[in-house]
Amino acid sequence: MDARILVVDDDAAIAEMIGIVLRGEGFEPHFSYDGPAAIEAFAAVKPDLVLLDLMLPGMDGIEVCTRIRESSGTPIIMLTAKSDSTDVVRGLESGADDYVVKPFNPKELVARIRTRLRPAATSEVERLPIGDLVIDVTGHEVTRGGSPISLTPLEFDLLLALAMKPNQVFTREMLLEQVWGYHYKADTRLVNVHVQRLRAKVEQDPDNPSIVMTVRGVGYRAGAAR
Amino acid sequence: MPPYTWRSLVARVRHLWRSSLQLRTVAITVFLSTIAVTIISGYMSISIATNLYEARKSQAIAEARQATVSVQELFDSSVTSNGTIDVETVSVTAATTIRSVASSPGGTQFAILRTPGQTTQVVMTPSNTSGLDVTVISDELRGQVSQERGLLYTQAVSLQNEASDDPGLVVGSVFEVPTAGQYELYLVYNVRDVQQTLDFVQQTLVIGSLLLVATIGLVTYLVTRLAINPVRVAAETAEKLADGQLEERIPVKGQDVIATLARSFNRMADSLQRQITQLAALSRVQQRFVSDVSHELRTPLTTIRLAGDVLYEQRDQFSPTTARTAELLRAQVDRFEVMLADLLEMSRYDAGAVELDTEPTNLVRLVEESLEAIRPLADEKGCELRLVAPGGYFEAEVESRRIRRILQNLLGNAVDHGEGKPIVVYVDSDSEAVAIAVRDFGVGMDAAQLERVFDRFWRADPSRQRTTGGTGLGLAIATEDAQLHGGKIDVWSVPGEGTCFRLTLPREPGAVVDHSPIDLPPVDPLDVVALEAAGGDDDA
Repeated sequence: MDARILVVDDDAAIAEMIGIVLRGEGFEPHFSYDGPAAIEAFAAVKPDLVLLDLMLPGMDGIEVCTRIRESSGTPIIMLTAKSDSTDVVRGLESGADDYVVKPFNPKELVARIRTRLRPAATSEVERLPIGDLVIDVTGHEVTRGGSPISLTPLEFDLLLALAMKPNQVFTREMLLEQVWGYHYKADTRLVNVHVQRLRAKVEQDPDNPSIVMTVRGVGYRAGAAR
Repeated sequence: MPPYTWRSLVARVRHLWRSSLQLRTVAITVFLSTIAVTIISGYMSISIATNLYEARKSQAIAEARQATVSVQELFDSSVTSNGTIDVETVSVTAATTIRSVASSPGGTQFAILRTPGQTTQVVMTPSNTSGLDVTVISDELRGQVSQERGLLYTQAVSLQNEASDDPGLVVGSVFEVPTAGQYELYLVYNVRDVQQTLDFVQQTLVIGSLLLVATIGLVTYLVTRLAINPVRVAAETAEKLADGQLEERIPVKGQDVIATLARSFNRMADSLQRQITQLAALSRVQQRFVSDVSHELRTPLTTIRLAGDVLYEQRDQFSPTTARTAELLRAQVDRFEVMLADLLEMSRYDAGAVELDTEPTNLVRLVEESLEAIRPLADEKGCELRLVAPGGYFEAEVESRRIRRILQNLLGNAVDHGEGKPIVVYVDSDSEAVAIAVRDFGVGMDAAQLERVFDRFWRADPSRQRTTGGTGLGLAIATEDAQLHGGKIDVWSVPGEGTCFRLTLPREPGAVVDHSPIDLPPVDPLDVVALEAAGGDDDA
């Protein structure tokens, strides 16, 4: 079955053009042109991924992002015209997994989409401990003391990447490559923001993390299994 | 330590002297008025003393004259009809007469002395009041007195007392005792009271002078305070304004010159604030414009880009003309994109809307990465890339994105103009700065070109085929990027010998760099490169 992608952009031309590119790559695009319509379409289409323009009439992309995240972990890639503004950080903080800066080329866009749609890294073991959590690799589930913690696929990937090599210290660049699929220097804010979001969900005390540990000046590593 | 303390004290006083207008004014006023008051009270003291003394002296002389006349009359009238006189008895009466005449304060004493060197039938015993030390009457005075009959001589003397030496005045005159010859009458006045009065006057003068000087000092202090305070307020306000507190104003009181100063100052501040606010508004409009243009242009550009790429991917299925069209479309869209990005970046700098976002970055590694990025292009042109990095192996606080952009620009230029000869990148650092120099051995530039090399939209050679797709903004942006870091870009170039661009950055963000760890052009310790380059030239 082709992956369904919801394209949310108020500019009909770019939406149609993205649709052409996506169809060419074997995806099934759906379109909505403003915020409220996007929320409705999201419920109706149940897309596998959302391409979301940040500047939308009616309801801005940030809010759409927040609303989607309230109910779903579906990957969201933001389309933004401003790479240097705080909009990017706000988008990431409201739950977007990744972003693409306009103007982008089709290959770049498709690469970002494929990374977010690919199945999470496979592991020989089925269950991995990290801190006081257990990752059920095949079941895509994280539990603390038997009760599940809801993570987005990206957050799951991030946690899994750390848990699979508990002795390894990951630089932000390594995580960008492994989790986001960037093979060149990318925006380290992606890592920073998502580590914060992940910690907010999995840490007992996010200010004093025991699962995603900061290694000052280097990056992050997994907390010791308990 | 004492010399230091002393020196520091002197330094502090000197600083205070130079920095406080009020202190200076008060000190100079007090100094000058002290001199004036000293002169005035000195003059007053001397003139009062002279007057007092003269008054006393004339009084004494008058008394003495009176006494002499009385004594003379007494003696003359005491001569009996037979021409005899009981001098001793008359002498006693004379003493009483003298006392009654010379009654001025100070306990007048007298002495009646016989003028020496006379031979008479009778000799009157010299007499004097008890307690008078006759030696105070000097021989000199006596000589003068005895010479000139009828004249009075005065002399200031010092009278010995139990307690102290009192100033005294001796008035001498002569009279004739019938049968006994010439006698001298000396009246000795103790003028301690005059001295006391004088002392008191002087004391009063000194105290008065001190009080006067103190009052002048105080008044000067108050007056200067009154006059300087508004100036100080103005100075402080100007300082605050200069620091960007545009709301600061001087309170205006009254109609005097200070108020005029305050009013004009406030008017100036108003106009300054208006202009700055206007400029800030303009800058905001500009930033807003940049942001809007960014969004408005980028969306259609993305569509064009996507369309161009889709067409380009399918060019095999097109006729050769259409295929070439698709290629051109794609290439020019790429170029347009770069130009738009550069223009927006420049525009951001012009709007002052750029902030530095630093992170610890190893510059040598950054240079290596940039070299790798440019390598395909350099290989195409046959340029060998070399790295000479004696220093720079530390984490510099820079925004790597901007430094990378500078490097890409410099390396791109070097490849474009390097004529296929080696390109050497130097990295070095010292305690204050770190520098990266990109040296090519290509065409170089002449002086006129060097002058314009950092200008916007300027190209060294417009006809030259460019591979890095420059917009003519590259070096302008690089310069801004360097300045944002507190650094700078210098250039050296000689036609036919090549060009070297050198980026120098301070180690600490915000520090000032006035030198560079790398010479311009860099001196390669082995100079292998230059030799090889020369050799390569021969081969070619």
